Amino acid sequence: MSLVVTGLIKRFRDITAVDDLSFSVEEGSLFGFLGPNGAGKTTTMRVILGIIKADKGKTMWKGLPFDQMEPGFFGYLPEERGLYPKMRVLEHLEFLGRINGLSRIQASKKTLTWIERFDLGDLRNKKVEELSKGNQQKVQMIGTLLHEPELLILDEPFGGLDPVNVALLKEVLIEIHQRGKTIIFSSHRMDQVEEICKDIALISHGRLLLSGNLKEIKRSMGRSIMRISVEGNKEFWTEIPGLQPIIDRADYLEFQLNELINPNDVLQVAMAAGQVIHFELVEPSLNQIFVEKVGAKA
Amino acid sequence: MKTIFILARRDFMSRVKRPSYIITTIIGSLILIGLTLIPPMLDNLAHEENLTNIELLVLEQSNGASFVPFLEQTTGQKEGINIRSARGKSEVEAYALVLDEGLTGLLLIDDSSFVLLSPNSLDAGLHNRIEAHVNEAFVRFNAAKLGLSHGDMQVLFQRISLDVREISPENGHALEKSSGAHEQALLLTYFLLFMLYMALILYGNMVASGVAEEKSSRIMEVMVSTVKPTQLMFGKIIGVGALGLVQFAIWVGSTLVLNPLAKGNFSSISLEVLLWFGLYFILGYFFYASIFAAGGALVSRVEEVNQVITIFMMFIVVGFFVAFSTFDNPNGKLSMIASFIPFTAPMVMFSRVVLANPSIFQVIASIVILILSFLGGTWISAKVYHVGILLYGKRPNLAEIVRLLRD
Repeated sequence: MSLVVTGLIKRFRDITAVDDLSFSVEEGSLFGFLGPNGAGKTTTMRVILGIIKADKGKTMWKGLPFDQMEPGFFGYLPEERGLYPKMRVLEHLEFLGRINGLSRIQASKKTLTWIERFDLGDLRNKKVEELSKGNQQKVQMIGTLLHEPELLILDEPFGGLDPVNVALLKEVLIEIHQRGKTIIFSSHRMDQVEEICKDIALISHGRLLLSGNLKEIKRSMGRSIMRISVEGNKEFWTEIPGLQPIIDRADYLEFQLNELINPNDVLQVAMAAGQVIHFELVEPSLNQIFVEKVGAKA
Repeated sequence: MKTIFILARRDFMSRVKRPSYIITTIIGSLILIGLTLIPPMLDNLAHEENLTNIELLVLEQSNGASFVPFLEQTTGQKEGINIRSARGKSEVEAYALVLDEGLTGLLLIDDSSFVLLSPNSLDAGLHNRIEAHVNEAFVRFNAAKLGLSHGDMQVLFQRISLDVREISPENGHALEKSSGAHEQALLLTYFLLFMLYMALILYGNMVASGVAEEKSSRIMEVMVSTVKPTQLMFGKIIGVGALGLVQFAIWVGSTLVLNPLAKGNFSSISLEVLLWFGLYFILGYFFYASIFAAGGALVSRVEEVNQVITIFMMFIVVGFFVAFSTFDNPNGKLSMIASFIPFTAPMVMFSRVVLANPSIFQVIASIVILILSFLGGTWISAKVYHVGILLYGKRPNLAEIVRLLRD
C-alpha cells in the first residue's frame, strides 16, 4: 500500500466534515473516490495534501508522512478551478512546471508536448482569461500532470467537459495509469468511475461506507440483480409477494433480489405465465451500489 | 529559495508589462523632472523682475530742504532705478510726462508725506522696492538734518549678513554647510520623503491586491498545495518590491540625468543620501508588505482590500506627517520616539539621518527595530496568510482570526 490514511478527523466548528476516515490506495492504482454531494470528498483531499490541517489522524505515502516528500511528487486538480487570468497559456504552464521542480528547459518541452496532446496548440499565446471555461480546465489539467507526479489527486476532473474531452481525458488518465503512476479522483458520475477504476472508496457524511477492489465489492454484493423478459406478459410478477421491478425496460424487467426471494421460484412463475425469452442474474452496477449504500445510510 | 525566486519572477514579470506600470513610470519621471525644474524657473522669473528698470519722476511740493539729492545719493550707485526731478512742473504736467514716456510713476513729496502716482498701482513688488529706496533716502535725509557727519552715516548704514551653521552633537564641530546647502538638503529630503511615502502606499497596496487577486481567481488552492504559504508570501513581497526598486531607479536616474542638463535643483544629490533612502525604503517596504499581504489574505475579492488595509495606510500617513514635522525640529521628542516605532520609523528616521545627524547608536537601533518588526510581522502574517487564503465569503472578524490562529 502506498497511500495510507488512518483515523482522519476534520471538524469545522459544529460540523464534522471528515469523521474517523481510514482507507488505503495501492501504488499504481486508478482509484475512484466517491460520495454524494457534501460527503467530505474535497475536505479529505485537502487534508491529505496538507492544505488544511487535520484535527486527528495521519496520511502516509510509502511509510513517510506527506510533508517529507519531494516537492512536485503529487499533482492536484482542485474542484474550484483557478489560474492567473492575465498570464499566457504557455507562460502559465511553464511557471506551474517550474514551481513543481522542473528545469526551465524541461518545463517548456513538456508544456509543448502536452499542449498538442490536449489540442490547445493554437491557443498557446492567448491569455488564460480569453479561453473558454472548458479550455481553461484543460490548461489546468496539463498544469496538474505536467511534472509527471507520482500521485495525481483530481477533484471532479470530468466536470464541465464536453463528451469529446471527457473521452480524451479518460484516455490520458489510462495512459498515465499504465506508466505506473497512482491516480485518485473523485466523481459522482458512477458510469465513468466504473469504466476506468479498479479500486474505489465510497464515503458519506465523512464516514467510509466501503472501499476496495471494485470487482470484489460487486461480487460480495452477490448476483442480486435479476433480469427477466416474458413474451407478451409484463404482469407475471404480481403473483409473487414482495417483488417489484426497479427498472422497466422494453426488452426486460429488472428486479432487486433479497433473501426472501428465490430466483428459481420467480423463473417458475414466469414460465407458467408465458414464453421466457430472457433470464439473467447479474451483479449490481456501481450506481445501484451507490444508491443502496448511501440511501440506507441516509 | 529557488522557488521563492520563481514566484517573485512571475509577480515581477506579470506586472512590469502592464500598461498601468509603464504609464506611472513615465508620468512619474515627468512629474519629478518638472518638480525639480520649477524652483529654478521661479527664481529666474523673480530675477527678471528685479531687472525691470524703475524710472521715477519726483516732484517736491514743500519749500523746505530738498529731498531729491538724498534720493539720488541712495539710488545713484544702484542698478535698475533712475530718479528724475520734475522741479517747476505742475502735478498734472508731471503725470502727463510719466504717461507719455512710459515711466514707472510720479513720487509726490510734501514734508514727510510721500505719495506714488503710478499707472500700474497693483504691482506690489515694485512698490516695495520703491518704498525701500525712499525709506533709505529718508533716513539719510533725517541724519543730515540731525547734523551727523559722513563717517557717522557710514557707521549707521553698515550691514551684516547672517551666516547659519549647524553643529553636530557628536563632535561639537561646525559642519561645512552653508545655509544654501541646508536649504537644498531640506528640499531634497522633502522630495525623497514624499517618494518614500508614495512608495509604501503604492507597493503595499499592490502586495495586498496581489494576494486578493490570487484568492479571487482561485489559483490559491493550487499554489498552496504546491508551495509553502511563506514562500508564496515572500515571493510576492520580493517580486513587487523589485518592481518598486526598478521604478524608483528609473525615476531617480532620469531626474539625475536630465536635471543638471536643465540646470535643475538637485544637481548635488549625494550618494550617501540615496543609499539611506534605499535602505529605509527596503526596511519600511518589507515591514509594511508583510502586514499588507496578511490583509489581502483576509478578503475574498480585490474590491474589499481597501477596507482591511485602511488602518495601516493611516499609519503611513501619520509617519509622513511626523517625518514632515522633523524638518523644523529634527531632534525633538516626537521625532525621537517616532524613529523607534516600526510604523513611523522608516520615514522619520530617514529624514533625521539626512537632516540632523542623529547618533550612530540611534540609527542602528532603528534599523534593528525595523528588522525585528519585519520578522515578527512576517511570522504573524504567515499564520494569518495560512488560514486566510482558503477563507471565502464573509470576512472574519478579529476574534475569529485569533481563534483560527490558535488552532
